[in-house]
Amino acid sequence: MFQNLWPVATLAAVLAISTTLARAHEIVGNRFFPATLTIDDPGVNDELALPTISISKTGDDPSFKQLDVSGELSKRITDAFAVSFSPTWSRLYAPGGPAMTGAQGFQNVETTFKYRVIKNAEHEFIMSVGLSIEWGGSGAQGVGADRFTTYTPSLWFGKGFGDLPSSLDWAKPFAITGQIGYGIPGQSKTTTASIDPDTGEIGIDTEFNPRVFNWGGSLQYSMPYLKSAVVDLGLPDFINRLIPIVEFSMQTPVSNTLTSGTVTTGTISPGLIYVGNTFQFAVEALIPVNRQSGTSVGVIGQLHFFLDDIFPNTIGRPIFASNVSTGNPMFGR
Amino acid sequence: MIMRKNVHILIVSTFLCGTPTFAEAHAFLDHASPRVGNTVTTAPKEVVLWFTQQLEPAFSSIEVRNEQGATVTAGKATAGGDRTQLRVPLKALPPGSYKVIWRVLSVDTHRTDGSFTFRVGP
Repeated sequence: MFQNLWPVATLAAVLAISTTLARAHEIVGNRFFPATLTIDDPGVNDELALPTISISKTGDDPSFKQLDVSGELSKRITDAFAVSFSPTWSRLYAPGGPAMTGAQGFQNVETTFKYRVIKNAEHEFIMSVGLSIEWGGSGAQGVGADRFTTYTPSLWFGKGFGDLPSSLDWAKPFAITGQIGYGIPGQSKTTTASIDPDTGEIGIDTEFNPRVFNWGGSLQYSMPYLKSAVVDLGLPDFINRLIPIVEFSMQTPVSNTLTSGTVTTGTISPGLIYVGNTFQFAVEALIPVNRQSGTSVGVIGQLHFFLDDIFPNTIGRPIFASNVSTGNPMFGR
Repeated sequence: MIMRKNVHILIVSTFLCGTPTFAEAHAFLDHASPRVGNTVTTAPKEVVLWFTQQLEPAFSSIEVRNEQGATVTAGKATAGGDRTQLRVPLKALPPGSYKVIWRVLSVDTHRTDGSFTFRVGP
């Protein structure tokens, strides 16, 4: 009986995994947008997120514990265009997996092409567009990796509130980021044959692969911004490097939903980001928004390196970089 | 197989351990005098900014403007200390609010800019 739920479990697992892949960071005027964990942020940069570790209980019936360990390398081709690669290794604890005895292996590799279209320092606004491709068949089916490729055109934005009037100084460290995307499977349905262990009869299962609207965002309060741009309260350095944040990441199947249903799944993730000069470290809770999204609160943590700061003259710069040290470099952004 | 695994571990370890050695970064404002967002009772004679990284002084500047938008600096910004410090002299400042606008180039050629205000008054 539970084995019949495997296609649904697969979809849920893939949707969950898809929320923990790509990340970036960005500086726009006074504003530092940190790399976020459950959604991608609008930044285009050279960076390495390694590792990102999450553990949660899935929304399947029966629910099972899932451990994900992922990494992401993002490389700028030009100042405004980057390509990233994101492998993820998963372990599903029993009763997860096709045989309900647990499973482990890599998810499909994801590649994201992102182009920054707007970067306005005065209003601390940034917007990027891009395409994410989850390469079908590059991962293990046992952990739910699809055999088909999924294409997700996306839009990301970020807005800091440093341009508020001085009467609202307390709100200037706030910033929001957002992400919307539309996941399009490369094939509309997946047909699998299975043998009933009791009768020996061959059964055919057809799973319709839905198109999914991915939407998410974050609300963050930057203590570094408070100290350097609003008011220096003389707080300890550790406090001045923190960014309290709440992220949300949702997935809504919107078409071809005959077998998947149309229930929105996702997580709300409050947490803290510590920003160093060349890295950031973040921990967030993963709170499922409903039963289909999970059965208990999970946790996600990430260590993230700013390659543009660590290796500014080699792998941390765009392949086709503009030379900032010649001409008039006085900040004509 | 084991050797190949060890090579991978070596590469990752080298990368991670080497990180601090190669580390430069964007220059962010660490602190300032007068302090960001604070009120001083006596007019400062200069604005001094301390950054998180070394700067290229030739490509770094500070502007200070009064509430009418007029510049109140009395000269060009100069680097001090170990080149993580930038300072600019000021004209005599009457009580009021002043905006400091800084633009710097770190030694690894990253540009950053920012602004903040301080007040002179009782």
